[in-house]
Amino acid sequence: MTADQVTRALTAAVPGLQPELRPRKVGVRSPVEVPELWVEVPREGLVPAVAALKAEGPLHISVISGRDVGEKIELLYHFAVGYGTPGGEVTVTLRVTVSKADPVLPSICGLLPGAETTEREKIEFLGVSFTGIPSTAHVFLPDDFPGHPWRKDDPETAKLVNRLVEWEGKDA
Amino acid sequence: MPETQNVYEIPIGPIHPALKEPIRFTFQVEGERIRGVDVRAGFAHRGIEFMAMKRNLIQTLYLSERICGICSISHPIAITLAVERAAGIEVPPRAQYLRVIFSELERIHSHLLWAGVAAHELGFDTLLHLTWKVREQVLDILEELSGNRIDYAIPIYGGVRRDIVPAQVPKVEAMVRYYRGLLDELLDAFLRDPSVEARTRDVGILTAQEADSLCAVGPTARASGLSKDVRQDRPYLVYGELGVRAITPRDWGLEPRGDVYDKAVVRLLEIGQSLDLIEKCLYEMPDGEITSFPKIPALLAYLKKAEGEGLGWHEAPRGEVIHYIRLEAGVEEPVVWKVKAPTYSNLMSWVPMFRDQEVADIPIIAASIDPCMCCMDRVHVVRDGSPGTVLKEELLRLSRAKTERVTRHLSPVPRHGGAA
Repeated sequence: MTADQVTRALTAAVPGLQPELRPRKVGVRSPVEVPELWVEVPREGLVPAVAALKAEGPLHISVISGRDVGEKIELLYHFAVGYGTPGGEVTVTLRVTVSKADPVLPSICGLLPGAETTEREKIEFLGVSFTGIPSTAHVFLPDDFPGHPWRKDDPETAKLVNRLVEWEGKDA
Repeated sequence: MPETQNVYEIPIGPIHPALKEPIRFTFQVEGERIRGVDVRAGFAHRGIEFMAMKRNLIQTLYLSERICGICSISHPIAITLAVERAAGIEVPPRAQYLRVIFSELERIHSHLLWAGVAAHELGFDTLLHLTWKVREQVLDILEELSGNRIDYAIPIYGGVRRDIVPAQVPKVEAMVRYYRGLLDELLDAFLRDPSVEARTRDVGILTAQEADSLCAVGPTARASGLSKDVRQDRPYLVYGELGVRAITPRDWGLEPRGDVYDKAVVRLLEIGQSLDLIEKCLYEMPDGEITSFPKIPALLAYLKKAEGEGLGWHEAPRGEVIHYIRLEAGVEEPVVWKVKAPTYSNLMSWVPMFRDQEVADIPIIAASIDPCMCCMDRVHVVRDGSPGTVLKEELLRLSRAKTERVTRHLSPVPRHGGAA
């Protein structure tokens, strides 16, 4: 698997994508370049992009990371395509941004059932939702946990932070 | 799951003698057969990623080490690689080899720990005592090299904190020889023993297709026959040059079935692989600096100015660890820090593994993806410059004495309804 192959597959599946190649120099005696692709994908392009990655080779999702950027929520889908051969895997990160007013994304569990845990974690921590996810039950936080801890504007999170700061102050 | 009157729910956990770490399974059983399972995690969720948002990067590094006592090299390696990538920090060649040596030492002790736990879950305690006795050798070496049996504090952004000095090399070589001589005995005890085989063959199967679609990692995926190992697939540090290959049951001459037996095969063979890697690194490691930032204040000042994002990954004993970090100039804390540990990826694999199995096999199937425990069985004290060892028995005596001491000063608890 090469970064070129993955780039071609992604741009064919979702026109207009501009994958950025960030090669990583690895090794001491005979250094090689390990390919890493970072792509911004519109919400509608997410499922076609993942389908294209899956068609290229065995697909692994490491995790979805994310953050609150004011009016929007940014999610980063960290994939690796093509395990099985030495140095043959390409790391691909898809960056999807949704507005807080409509924080809904399509679930990719239909294509990759292994994504369920990490999608469910994002529901708990960032308050996004996924259409078509098999289960929305909490994985990590208690069922009655108030708010979403990674949201910066969440009043419940603010209360939680204040309690933690108070508690840490007492501890010191 | 079939809706019949004969299906009952059995909750197991979050605290249960069969499981060393808190997790809750809700089994649907029909007679002795498991028909379905619901897994609920989060009982040990400490909000570590959240805590990092209030700590600088060096404090976050030490926090990452405390995510897991067993993987206390794996998480720091992943976070240092991520931060070095984000901030553009180079790692000297010798430090890269040293990181590999420590990682492989960690793999040996972790796999031996698992082998003991697996033997215990099967009711084979003699084997538990044998594996944990021989595990002491590698812990002694880790203590010799880092000063600690766990939480080694070795990786730092830009290199490592301690070198392996020439006087220590023969000790590491002796350890490698010790395990080489022992490996056949261990393979015999686990893989050629009829009772172990009877309890683990065709138990808790994860097919290759399930392992692939559920994105299983580490020995859990390799036992199902997937050639999936981050050290092989996505080289980092010097693993690419060391020629690491993913080990599957085929290396033991067997077609992979993905059962508990295969998971034991993979882990035990990986001990041999780690010994080879340690020896190769000791032989090939160049001389030179071990860090590009010898002074911590200079490192902190550099990191505060850094801006960017990066990924760092590592094949921990249980599988892929990956960290994502985002740094902003002028901010000491990481803006985003996402940690993914191997069990996170393997959580879903339990569902097909438990299906149609017997209730009595729950402990070994749960253990087959590898639970982890900290060893807190002794402590070193230095008093007036002379070192000594306090054993568990003494700690227990001290603990009991403290309970007595504390309770002596407590007023009696009033009975319900008061003194009247």
